[in-house]
Amino acid sequence: MENIVFGIGITAMAGALASVAGAAENVESDIGSQGDPNSQVQLAPQMGYIHRIFNKAIAGEPPAYGAWCAIGAGLAMGFIALQVNPILALILGCAITAFVQGVYATTAYLGRIASLAKFGQPVYIDILKSMTTVTMAHAFVAIFTTVSLCYLMNAALGHPFPLPLLGIVWGIALGAAGSATGNPFYGKERQYQNQKFGAGVPVAASGNIVRYAEAGQRNSLDNGWFSAKLGGPASGVCFGLIVFLELWRTVLFEPVGHGWGAIIVGVLLILVFTIIDRYIEVWARKTYGPYAKPAEVKT
Amino acid sequence: MSAIGAKPAAGAEVNTTASIIGLILTLIIIGALYVITKDISMTMALIGVIIGGVLVGFCVHFMPVGGAPAAMGQAPGIATGVAMLAAGAGLAGLFGGAWAAELGMMVAIVAGAVGGGLMMAITCLMVSVIYVFGMGIPAASGKSKIDPLTGDTQVEFKSQGTEGHGLPFISYVGGVIGGLLGGAGGTLVYIELLYLYEKELPALLQAPMPEDVKIVAVSLAGIFAVGIFLVSSVLAAYNITGTTEGPADPKFKRFPRDIVASLLASAICGIFAILIVAL
Repeated sequence: MENIVFGIGITAMAGALASVAGAAENVESDIGSQGDPNSQVQLAPQMGYIHRIFNKAIAGEPPAYGAWCAIGAGLAMGFIALQVNPILALILGCAITAFVQGVYATTAYLGRIASLAKFGQPVYIDILKSMTTVTMAHAFVAIFTTVSLCYLMNAALGHPFPLPLLGIVWGIALGAAGSATGNPFYGKERQYQNQKFGAGVPVAASGNIVRYAEAGQRNSLDNGWFSAKLGGPASGVCFGLIVFLELWRTVLFEPVGHGWGAIIVGVLLILVFTIIDRYIEVWARKTYGPYAKPAEVKT
Repeated sequence: MSAIGAKPAAGAEVNTTASIIGLILTLIIIGALYVITKDISMTMALIGVIIGGVLVGFCVHFMPVGGAPAAMGQAPGIATGVAMLAAGAGLAGLFGGAWAAELGMMVAIVAGAVGGGLMMAITCLMVSVIYVFGMGIPAASGKSKIDPLTGDTQVEFKSQGTEGHGLPFISYVGGVIGGLLGGAGGTLVYIELLYLYEKELPALLQAPMPEDVKIVAVSLAGIFAVGIFLVSSVLAAYNITGTTEGPADPKFKRFPRDIVASLLASAICGIFAILIVAL
């Protein structure tokens, strides 16, 4: 009984860490335009729209976070092997990794923006100075929470994978969940805030991203503030649910039926989420209605 | 011929000659392993790795991925890379499968499949939540006039100037099936290599206790499983070229080409993974 209670406690803590990780990851990637909306940040100057948006998209979020979490986890494992207190080791490993991310962000921004020189896009040094440290801070939060939950899985729940391998696995999953959930909110609702709400961005509007804020020119800190309102928390809920439910069903139900208990619970959860998704889809169709009457549609 | 003058490539047709050559090369690699090792269990492990790699490549074709256009609500699907989403789901499945490895191969593979499917179910649900409640956009397919599962009409729900948006139900189901296949494939690769390493490494490393080499076996099998997963999923992404809506997308029919490519790529990766303990 004590083992189960301990396991549930660790599961809840890992889920909470994952929620913070998902939110920080999405806000970090949106400040750096690292998700798919980076295409518009890169396209804008080519269409004549010079901007002050940060762009460090030289790798997708999943491989980037897979690398950073693996580096952080590897360093933490090394410090633990040197008899450093595990909590301090996690902090040190992730802090050093944040500087690796800073080097990545700096070179990525300079490379991506310098390639747009022929279109008249300047490299803003003040943007480089002010944005890089903010992305590093968000990256530290995301990496630290992810590596910490990996440590809990390994040390407290007894998962066989060593810490760096868990870092790769959950870093890639973090990037996949964060980019899938948060990218549309940043790409459509923020970069194309001047387009109509409740419809996709017409292809003809591509590149015409919003470049002005309430006062002066918009920069990526404004975008981070916007993402933190919905895209970030939604990504946090997504990654938190993934980690929590994966651990919860395993810790609680794997002893049932020689492992089949956790599998059956997993299948039931998938069915529940499928029903919720279908309900949301039908609700949206009824509530928002079609854009055109069926008869007017060219088929 | 310049790139501009070239005909559009990457159709759905299968190059028969290339496919036969790929199949023969795969058989040669399997035969070569048996000739080198004279060990049927290693050959069976390689076949298991190949089946796992093929499952991974096949799983990617189910993933509804819209890439950059989906991030602007210009195309349906999930706004990320196709290989990356498959890797995220498959590796989450691998995590669950590896945990259940001690309960036997069947339980581990099914646990891995359910782990991958659950990850995709949650991710696809949150994508729908963001589109519907954050952006006020209903789901609409760009490739199908009617959702094959629900019968919902799609065309009138496409906003002007777009190819559709959101996640129609067929794409959601495709994502979950992709997660299931990816989790199972990744776990199969891991389990085959883990059992082989646990058997061969104690003698190779001259360790007195098999427990001493368990962490080495788990690490090696895990990193090879991640590597083979990424090889197969990136190959499949090249086959898809860009975005896909999942099983209802015409690009789904390209999967036979990827099966052959994944067979060969998994065989090459697998023989290296096995020979490190065989030679």
